[in-house]
Amino acid sequence: MKLPTDLVRMYKEIHGWVGIISGLALFIAFYAGAITMFEEPLQRWASPPSRLAPPPSLERTPELIEKVLAAHPGAKKGYDVNLAIDSARPARVSWVEATPEEAEHGGGVTYYASLRPDGALQVETRGPSPVAQFIDVLHQQVGLAFLDHEVAMPIMGAVSLLYMIAIVSGLVVLLPSLVSDLFALRIGRNVKRMWLDVHNLLGLFSVPFHVIMALTAVVFAFHDQFYDAQAVAFGRPERPERSAPAGPPPPLLTPAAIVAKLQDQAPGFTPIVLDYSGRPDGSVFLRVAGTDPRFGTRGPTYGFASVDPASGEIVSSDYMPGRQDGWSATITSFFALHFGSFGGAPIRWAYFLLGLAGAFVFYTGNLLWIESRRKRERKAGAVEQTRSTRVLGALTVGVPLGCMAGISVTLAAAKILGFAATPGLHSVIYHAVFLAFVVAALVRGAARAGPELSIAAAVAMLTIPAASLVAGPDWFGSPALIAVDAVAVGLALTLAASARSARRRRFAAPRDSVWADPGLNAPHPG
Amino acid sequence: MKRALTSRDWFGKSSAGLLLGFFLALGAGGLFKALAGVGDTFFSTKGQLAMWMMAPVWALVLSFCFMFRSTARAWGWLAAANVVLWGAIWALGGIAP
Repeated sequence: MKLPTDLVRMYKEIHGWVGIISGLALFIAFYAGAITMFEEPLQRWASPPSRLAPPPSLERTPELIEKVLAAHPGAKKGYDVNLAIDSARPARVSWVEATPEEAEHGGGVTYYASLRPDGALQVETRGPSPVAQFIDVLHQQVGLAFLDHEVAMPIMGAVSLLYMIAIVSGLVVLLPSLVSDLFALRIGRNVKRMWLDVHNLLGLFSVPFHVIMALTAVVFAFHDQFYDAQAVAFGRPERPERSAPAGPPPPLLTPAAIVAKLQDQAPGFTPIVLDYSGRPDGSVFLRVAGTDPRFGTRGPTYGFASVDPASGEIVSSDYMPGRQDGWSATITSFFALHFGSFGGAPIRWAYFLLGLAGAFVFYTGNLLWIESRRKRERKAGAVEQTRSTRVLGALTVGVPLGCMAGISVTLAAAKILGFAATPGLHSVIYHAVFLAFVVAALVRGAARAGPELSIAAAVAMLTIPAASLVAGPDWFGSPALIAVDAVAVGLALTLAASARSARRRRFAAPRDSVWADPGLNAPHPG
Repeated sequence: MKRALTSRDWFGKSSAGLLLGFFLALGAGGLFKALAGVGDTFFSTKGQLAMWMMAPVWALVLSFCFMFRSTARAWGWLAAANVVLWGAIWALGGIAP
């Protein structure tokens, strides 16, 4: 396809600059995002075996709810009845008590309740691991997990807009040579050509995935501002007044009866959590989280049905998989396409690989930028790399490897910390490892840090299976969780292999390359 | 002869794309609201769709605004597009009193 050369040249420069500004943040977002595809199994992998008595049957659950509400009036504001019990959801009944301020930020204390064999109430505040949630926040905030959500979101939105410009400009640059270059993967002496081919191939074939991620991320970052602007311009619809209930609220159905009623009304829908919340006027609202494998879901793992807790009738199916009208299903498809919450495990694995491939596209983009800078600077007569190129080279090594190592170590720490783990502690561990890698890369320089930090990241990756060995088989609620350790070993081997080629490059690269060891006098090949 | 495109005037063009593109995006959602008759129910799914429409319009205007030959043309054309769009919403009675 023919495009004017000035257009292509302009977009090539734009592509380089938006890429270099957003590339490292996007690497973290994609790597952490790939991992959150398995947030649920990871949480089970990282959560200590529960100290609660085995959960009472669903038929006996009303007795548990009654005892909880009598002993803990705070639960009247809202409690969950969990239908599927595992280490990530260890209690039949759980609830959160929080001050209004804590509640706004999703904080507060979570309580987990069960019945002892003698029928006495047992309540624990130590629960499942928060580490999977921490990795999710790292993903949502493009690596800036230490920032407040309100501060991080506009930054993430800006990165997403740059990302969209990068996609469009990259396509414009690639279009003219698309036919001749598409399947050409020139692996050989010209390393830059090879990286460019890899960058183009991976980038082009995941364009739909990247467009979805960029546009949905813009909405996730700015939806409050979008709604506010629309309210100012076009008017804000009033929240409908709820008519006050006449007389005392009707008695609630038992959880078992709710499940049976749902089964009648929506046979394909598998309820997982009954989420009760009490309104100030004494009435109770019930939202049921669940899945239907034939349909995508609004949430990362569930869709929702609003159910009348007294009759068990579905009152709203706007977010219920398979029962949505065209408008709702369209909105849900945007969420599902971002979360990979459709099509079951094959899609999750596909998204995991697409996410890793995306991270690799950003990494190769940085490499290409550094190489082009070197060429341009050499033409201008410079013998040595400028300081900014050396720093960027070091960050291109330190940030991705630091992110991978930090996530590995903080994940492994979950099995060592057990019930002592908190989100804050996981954040400190992640950032300590991450900063250590970045500082080491800056001190040692890209050439030496490449192989050294790759090995260090491989070792960090191996702390995951090591922690599993230390913690023992009790932590494996289901044997399939061994996949977490297997993937960690696979990634460790990949990192070790890349350490080997980085070491080779350190000795073979042209002397003025950031990848060449400044202490060595390698003969200049060109 | 036509002036060649260059990335040197990126700031003027991209600020036009960012600012006027946002109003085009807002207008696109507003036009949809006016045509689809959204606005009577709280947090309706049509209202959500009107919000979602803003992301692609804004991001695409921002991505393609570099194709204007100059900063002045970027501001001029995008402003004109805004006038047409918002005029249509106004004519349909979609703007808040």
